[in-house]
Amino acid sequence: MRRLVLERREQALRGGQPLAFVLGLVLAMVAGALLLLGSGNEPLAVFERMFESSVGDPEAWSLTLNRAVPLGLAGLAVAIAGAMGLWNIGAEGQILAGAMMAAWVARIGGDWPSALLIIGMLLAASVGGGLLALGPAVARAHIGVNEILTTLMLNEVALRLLQWLIHGPWKDPGSYGFPLAPMLPDGARLPGFFERAHLGVVVAGLVIAAFALVVSRTAWGYELRVAGSSGATARYAGISLQRKILTALVLSGAVAGLAGGIELSGTADRITEGISSGFGYAGIIVAALALMRPSGVAAVAVLFGAVQVGGMSIQTMGVSSSVSRILQAFILFGAIGAGVFSTYRLQLVPGRSGETGETGERGS
Amino acid sequence: MIGLLAATVSFGTLLYLAALGELIAEKAGVLNLGVEGMMAMGAVSGFMVALESGNPWLALLVATAVGALVASVHGWFTVVLGAEQVVSGLSLTILGLGLSAFVGKNVVGRPSRAELAPVDWGPLTDIPWAGPVLFHQSPIVYLAVALGVAASFLLTRTRLGLALRAAGESASTTDAAGHSVVGLRLGAVATGGALAGMAGAYLTVSITPQWSEGVTAGRGWIAVALVIFGAWRPGRAAVGALLFGGMLALKTRLQTFGVDFSPILLSMLPYLLTIGVLVVISIRARHRPSSAPAALGLPYRREER
Repeated sequence: MRRLVLERREQALRGGQPLAFVLGLVLAMVAGALLLLGSGNEPLAVFERMFESSVGDPEAWSLTLNRAVPLGLAGLAVAIAGAMGLWNIGAEGQILAGAMMAAWVARIGGDWPSALLIIGMLLAASVGGGLLALGPAVARAHIGVNEILTTLMLNEVALRLLQWLIHGPWKDPGSYGFPLAPMLPDGARLPGFFERAHLGVVVAGLVIAAFALVVSRTAWGYELRVAGSSGATARYAGISLQRKILTALVLSGAVAGLAGGIELSGTADRITEGISSGFGYAGIIVAALALMRPSGVAAVAVLFGAVQVGGMSIQTMGVSSSVSRILQAFILFGAIGAGVFSTYRLQLVPGRSGETGETGERGS
Repeated sequence: MIGLLAATVSFGTLLYLAALGELIAEKAGVLNLGVEGMMAMGAVSGFMVALESGNPWLALLVATAVGALVASVHGWFTVVLGAEQVVSGLSLTILGLGLSAFVGKNVVGRPSRAELAPVDWGPLTDIPWAGPVLFHQSPIVYLAVALGVAASFLLTRTRLGLALRAAGESASTTDAAGHSVVGLRLGAVATGGALAGMAGAYLTVSITPQWSEGVTAGRGWIAVALVIFGAWRPGRAAVGALLFGGMLALKTRLQTFGVDFSPILLSMLPYLLTIGVLVVISIRARHRPSSAPAALGLPYRREER
């Protein structure tokens, strides 16, 4: 009897990760095509429509970039925490907190000059996201409370808070009893950039580029990465772990909050409970696919933006828009699956249980 | 009031089934944030089988199998391939929510035709209060109680349970003791998915009983919270399930009682309480061993010990 085992390669395959990503994409499309075939759809026609509507012309690109903004910022948020070895699962809630703060500024600043109002909204959004992350950050830094679970719980809390605002204090008297917040003042709308893209695309691009530089080129970023890879090393080097945890998580929350502010100001007429459509959770996948590198986050976010825009466009063909969510998950699983083979290889080994085949390695 | 208590028991059961499954997976060292997705897949498959066959038990069985199957995707990626549990689990939630919406597109809003009749306990049903609340429930409620007791017994009193908990505390020790860490963890994850799938079917076959996209409405996340709230113990999780289930039941009834408190704010409580418990557990952990499985979230590879 021979059997297959996974064996670690002496050296990881060069270029293995980008290759795995492309392979994941291909695997996702194959799996998606099978799913569409099985449900009586024409996969090629569906994919063609998705492609046309997301990257087929400048207008399509502008929609894709708009969508890539919250995905990229959420991905960056996760990557900032990830550089420190922390998981911020709370980007979803922080986006909502950011949107709520931005909406609040729009409520009180309806008659401010537009530039001031928008800048105020985006700053407030960052503060909101940072504030929501502050609790988990302090708890993690000082008591060692698992940040995965606290940030996750706060997502649901933030969502309920937003629902409460819309159903209660912020309910528009002119909405005929529907739980709707009032429309944003005109001055609160982000100006256009090109076609249907708004200036948030530029803001998000700059923020991502800035963090990519800070994390890879500055002493602060270096300390962050050292602290992330080994707490003990960081302590010997005199880096305060507690302060690093605090700043990384709060900054992460602020970036996610900014995404909420931009989303509100750039694409929405009013704040709704669906303002985020899962960007925070998708951002975790974006960051994972980008291997937690800020520079990679932007590229993956554009891809996911295209998949989401494409997914919305196929509804007119009678295909559920949930195809885009399925594809996103498939891409991730495909990439993880393929990525394994850049560090591991399948090996046929003799032996019934495989024990004999592995004993040689156990000494190493 | 009796209606409220009865609803507390059925919502509590829904949460408990999913939480019990997550608890078993976490005890073996695997955090699965895909509960919401697994529950949605169980909900849609259970509902569709019930619609086609008219047999609620078959629906439950299929949903349980689907839940186990979906969970095994997470098991394969995290346990066998060593992928990040957080990322894989969240992807599973996105996949499950998307796939369930895709598959269930044509049965949205259709009325179920296979409801589970409450168990007839004879004279016990006539006891005031306790009768309607405890003895006029869906068979799933009693099944959940039995499963909870069984899981508690299995985890604390059997060799298998000991090995499973060991895999969640120290994988290399478990391996050295001759147990298969991969096998134990895969089994625990699949069992967790099975229970989440069952919970989903209980929702769409018995509680709602209907399918619509997003019918799980974040209850999978409450189940994740419940495991922490119950400090990774089946018994305490049951108490928490009744508490959180009561909050879900109360949410729709608050106004009828004339209480001027927003039901939306009430629904924040489970999460805030869980955060509170988490903080308390962490503070206590400085003085004595934490109740959280030590190897939770850590992949295990033999050659990397």
